Amino acid sequence: MGALMPVAPPRRLLRPPRAEGSPGALASHLSKAITVNGDLESDGELHIYGNVRGQVCADRLVVGPGGYLEGDVIARDVHIEGRLAGRIFALNVTLDSAAEVTGRIFHNTITVAKGARIDARMPWRPPSYFETLEQLPEVRQ
Amino acid sequence: MSMFNRNEKDPNTGVAVGEKPAEFTPAPVAAASVVKPPQPSVQPVPEIAVAKSAGPSVISKALKITGQLESTEDIRIDGEVEGDIHGVSVTVGSGAKVKGSVYGQTVELAGTIEGKIEAKKVILTSTAHMSGDVIHQDIRIESGAYIDGHCRPGTNKVDNKPMPKPN
Repeated sequence: MGALMPVAPPRRLLRPPRAEGSPGALASHLSKAITVNGDLESDGELHIYGNVRGQVCADRLVVGPGGYLEGDVIARDVHIEGRLAGRIFALNVTLDSAAEVTGRIFHNTITVAKGARIDARMPWRPPSYFETLEQLPEVRQ
Repeated sequence: MSMFNRNEKDPNTGVAVGEKPAEFTPAPVAAASVVKPPQPSVQPVPEIAVAKSAGPSVISKALKITGQLESTEDIRIDGEVEGDIHGVSVTVGSGAKVKGSVYGQTVELAGTIEGKIEAKKVILTSTAHMSGDVIHQDIRIESGAYIDGHCRPGTNKVDNKPMPKPN
């Protein structure tokens, strides 16, 4: 079984831009009471107020106050008001004053509010870098 | 969202919004109502769920989770989960798909589960598709539900399970 599986073309990590309209139906919400161990893949919005350990792919990711994410993020927009340990690969990154980020922030545009705690390198990349991202780079120390 | 707050000045009165005098002369008010300022660029600030840090977790139909979920509160699943789910009240909406075991006090199924349900109260609605065993103390099955598996009343095993404690 599965021996004749067609070879899928390499999958792009960044989700294609989602069509306008009814984004509310696509918004997911992980409350502060939840703990997720695993990978999350969403074509819509994802709000994290709880604990998540794993890789996250989304159109837009919000780590709300009290939220904690340990892992890599691939998204168009990332907004952090909580804590994040890992790497961000996003076109637009905003770090709120309550944000605590360690790792790396690969971005095209970034906004950092006064008070944000950041212990991270922030390499700039052109939009094409994110659009064609198929595999995350190795973690280098 | 405080990062986006500016102490904007009212274009008509030149008085900062935050520091309006308590006594307000009627003239500027009238002016303000007549001359409509150009649509203030108040974006619908994306504070969609600022007040929702508590409350149920929602896995929308756009989301796929590969891994374990554990919550001390309610979970609603409309998307896809590959892995076990531990919750208090777990609702699997129609169109949702779960591959794995679902544990909780109450499990309501309108979608598809391939795995096991272990809960005190189980509700299978008419659109439910259950492949696997159901261990329950109280079950309701609506006409139209599909079950392929054993339905058996849970012994006290359910009670002895270390339920997630509320914070």
